[in-house]
Amino acid sequence: MQTKIQFVRDFFCYALKGDSRYYTWLGILGILVIPWAYGSYEQLITNGLIVAGFTDQISWAMYEGNFIFLVGVAAAAVTVVFPYYVYSSPQDRRGTVKSLKNVVLIGEMLAITAVTMVMLFIIYHMGRPDRLWHIIPGIGIFNFPNSMLTWDVLVLNIYLVLNIACGFYNMYKRYTGEPMNENFYKTLVYIAIPWALSIHTVTAFLINTMPPRPMWFHSMMPIKFISTAFAGGSAIIIVALLVYRKYTKLEIPDKAINFISQITVWCLGIALFLIMSEIVTELYPSTEHSFQIKYSLFGMFGLSKLVPWMWASLIILIVSFILLMIPSVRKNYTVLPVICVILFIGIWIEKGMALVIPGMVPSPIGEFSEYTPTWIEIFITAGNWAIGLIMFTILSKGAVGVMIGEVRHPSAVGKAVEHH
Amino acid sequence: MSEEIKETGKEDASGNETRRNFLKDMGTAALAGAAALMTDSDDAEAKSTWAEWFQKNWRLMTDEEKKDAIARLETRYSEEYGKKVTVDGSPAMKSVLFGYALNIQKCIGCRRCVYACVKENNQSRHDTEIQWIRVIRMEKQNFLPDDMNKGYPPSAKEPFGIQVGGNAHKPAGVTLEGQHYYQPELVPEKDAFYFPIQCMQCEKPPCVKVCPVRTTYRDPDGIVVIDYNWCIGCRMCMAACPYWARRFNWGDPNLPKEEMNPNTHYLGNRPRMRGVVEKCTFCIQRSRKGRYTACVEVCPVGARKFGNLFDPNSEVRQILERKKVFRLKAELNTYPKFFYFID
Amino acid sequence: MKRGRFSKIVFIILLLGGAISAGIVYSQQGEQIPAPPEPAKEEKPAEEAKAQTPQIVTDCFESRLPQEDGKSYTKVTRVENTVQQYGWPNVKCSQTTGGVLWWGDPFDGTAPMGDMPVLANDDYSKGDYAKEEAVVKPRQSQLMYFNLDPNKNCALCHDGKIVPFPKDKKPRKLAAHQDVVADSMQLMHGRAAFWCLDCHNHTSRKTNALIDHWGNEISFNQPQKLCGKCHGEVYIDWRLGIHGKRIGSWVSGGKKRWWVCTECHNPHTVQVNRFQPIKPETAPVLPKGMKNANHEQSQHDDGHDTTPKGAAGH
Repeated sequence: MQTKIQFVRDFFCYALKGDSRYYTWLGILGILVIPWAYGSYEQLITNGLIVAGFTDQISWAMYEGNFIFLVGVAAAAVTVVFPYYVYSSPQDRRGTVKSLKNVVLIGEMLAITAVTMVMLFIIYHMGRPDRLWHIIPGIGIFNFPNSMLTWDVLVLNIYLVLNIACGFYNMYKRYTGEPMNENFYKTLVYIAIPWALSIHTVTAFLINTMPPRPMWFHSMMPIKFISTAFAGGSAIIIVALLVYRKYTKLEIPDKAINFISQITVWCLGIALFLIMSEIVTELYPSTEHSFQIKYSLFGMFGLSKLVPWMWASLIILIVSFILLMIPSVRKNYTVLPVICVILFIGIWIEKGMALVIPGMVPSPIGEFSEYTPTWIEIFITAGNWAIGLIMFTILSKGAVGVMIGEVRHPSAVGKAVEHH
Repeated sequence: MSEEIKETGKEDASGNETRRNFLKDMGTAALAGAAALMTDSDDAEAKSTWAEWFQKNWRLMTDEEKKDAIARLETRYSEEYGKKVTVDGSPAMKSVLFGYALNIQKCIGCRRCVYACVKENNQSRHDTEIQWIRVIRMEKQNFLPDDMNKGYPPSAKEPFGIQVGGNAHKPAGVTLEGQHYYQPELVPEKDAFYFPIQCMQCEKPPCVKVCPVRTTYRDPDGIVVIDYNWCIGCRMCMAACPYWARRFNWGDPNLPKEEMNPNTHYLGNRPRMRGVVEKCTFCIQRSRKGRYTACVEVCPVGARKFGNLFDPNSEVRQILERKKVFRLKAELNTYPKFFYFID
Repeated sequence: MKRGRFSKIVFIILLLGGAISAGIVYSQQGEQIPAPPEPAKEEKPAEEAKAQTPQIVTDCFESRLPQEDGKSYTKVTRVENTVQQYGWPNVKCSQTTGGVLWWGDPFDGTAPMGDMPVLANDDYSKGDYAKEEAVVKPRQSQLMYFNLDPNKNCALCHDGKIVPFPKDKKPRKLAAHQDVVADSMQLMHGRAAFWCLDCHNHTSRKTNALIDHWGNEISFNQPQKLCGKCHGEVYIDWRLGIHGKRIGSWVSGGKKRWWVCTECHNPHTVQVNRFQPIKPETAPVLPKGMKNANHEQSQHDDGHDTTPKGAAGH
């Protein structure tokens, strides 16, 4: 027990220590929390959701979009590293997959962060967060298996637990220098990987099982979700890896980054193919059900607020796909993170603004209206992101410390134990 | 009134014992906490607020708990609105399944039903305005010879359009593509007909299916109700409803004291709070006492009909027997108990 | 040294952040899209109050539009506390259109319908209509000419003379009653195939009652007996509750106030308008973020003007 407490203390002491650049980064994020606190007060305490830009017509928007996007990030964070477990066998002669060793923990920290942010956005999405206990089985009513949302709650929470268990078990063992119980750890990992797919699949089912929203109501939604998520999630992991490689002693071979950027290209390609299929399927027959996609792509009846967002995201996706296809661009580590960040934003638009909002326009009885986020909504969204980034920064910095051996139990110093 | 009116005595007593005890304990703990926290405010008020917060879903309450909940609400509402407010908790009537029929041919689009509903059901009057009924204006025709040569593909030789005619996209007979904010001098207009939409009280309601906490459910008489005190405000039901029948209290509802209708039902028109969903309940506070809904009563052309689907002599059953009816978006298999009909 | 650089960086970032957010605010202001919630909240109720306080409508019409002379067809006056149980008024009136929006007491001012003829058709007579509790709102008291004293009042218009009973039912030009029938030679009912005295009693002026085919009098309170002579199918629908309006109890056989034919239709102009056009209640408030509903106008019409051109009956 003592060791465990010491581990937690050492972990966070290390994670919270850094140079001026580190504090500047945290400081910037910290500044974003101030308007967030104001917005939270306005929304949660004083006025309710009326301070946000939602209407009865567009009742899901900003928070829901971020929620869906972040579920994707959470899923991708673990899944992009799964080749490491599955293929780390004699067949892997060139050692490409083996090189992902250090990426695993970063991925898990990202997953923990993303799921936490998902829950944060859900809280802000809810009208009565004070009644959250109503959903807890036992004291409340958990409408399982009927409500798709209960499935989502279930898979997300289990996923969070799995990742905390995986990540911190791994780190703890590295910390103490004890050998890991491979059976236990591997079992957790092998559950976590398909589970990562399940969280995004279930989230897709959450919205694509609603016939009144024709834009969502197609069976391609889960695979489209997963492919865009993997493209976006792997992109952000590349950025994180490059940052840690540059600013810490963590060794991340080029092979690992190249491998992940290949995953990004592949998934982005598949995502673009699916987006194209969707657009053709909707627009060719051009039925009443294609109004939602028409509205988002071209605007209808003079309402076109989403059009620039939609096209920006499409262009970002296509251009970054073309660029990332070129090996020299992919291997240029000055250009690569820039593309990755832009791609990440592009996918954020694609899955937030461009997915959730047009699903609401027109309403099921044909009313067109437009959505404008309020400042409070923007404050809260930015603040949630800032909190997530702070969390990810701290968690992953600690993880890096463990990996490079700077966070280590006194008794373990000097011991060299090879870990997965 | 007939025997149908007799209330079903049987309550859903399946609420499990342990949960109840747990909640009771939680409730006591909360009361103690509340007493400590809210020394300034009225003790009884704090007590009732906390008890309200800890109460169970209406469906699972025992008779006694229901009575307590109602008493709490009656006291609070009476104080808040300065008049004697009654909160009814009567369960569904025996062998009654409510159905509704609307004569689409007769509706003149006057929107009186919308406001009768607002007056009866204590909706928020402004910021944000909540109305459970929406009337859509749809054009009858505007086929024009002038448009003949606006076809596709555009061509000098065959301008009428060998693939798409110039009079395509004319709205005659196209449901749900109409105007929600029409405001002519007088109705009915010559070139339009009107299509009121409200909760269809589906027999297979998608909103109930998606609710994660079962706060919205079908009562035996076919009314889809919401326990406002149990709703967590996730708005899944609003996204899942194909008829856009659900509304959300984005802020604290604005209901002027003098406008408040004091005859309320727990599952119906009692004043709502911020952050919960609400919807048409076929005026449950009236219909369960044998009275027509407010929208039926107000319709100046008698387009709205309401009654018991099990009773062959009821107005709705007679309509099903004698008229041509359709259900809105029947392809979704939600089986609305709201029928549109024509003479 | 290090600290100095740190604070410089922070300062620059704050500056940049400020500039960017100011830019966003400015551009948003240019578009004038997000109305700040607070001022809107304050203005709205005040506006409404202004619109409502000066004149509260307490006299309102029940079903049909007020007649041209401003008199309501069946008018009610709001009386507070009619339903003592709840402290309800008898009715609530629309402040926009002057129509009744809500009945607290659905049977306010009603009287029993009297003997209802049981439907002859076996299919529809299964229900025990004898037990139906039907009430109507007596209209005779609200009729304009009906309540006049023939000797005193009528004479005022009819050149001080009492007009003799007509010899037959042949159409002729009427010297008075243009307010009811603009052109007595062109009745707006039945396309001039019949005339006033096919429905109105031509011998009994005392009651000025309606008559059936055999010359039996029909009360103004039960015009369905007259209308049903020709409109048989509609009459059956009305009898079953499919056509027309009822308020009160939805239970079969329960107490209902039945609206009679003339409460919704004006028999003297029905050929022009099935229902007299009325002013609609106000449209719902536009959703947040929408300034107008112009997009609805542009739906379906390629530049054609679809703004309402004036009302007409169905």
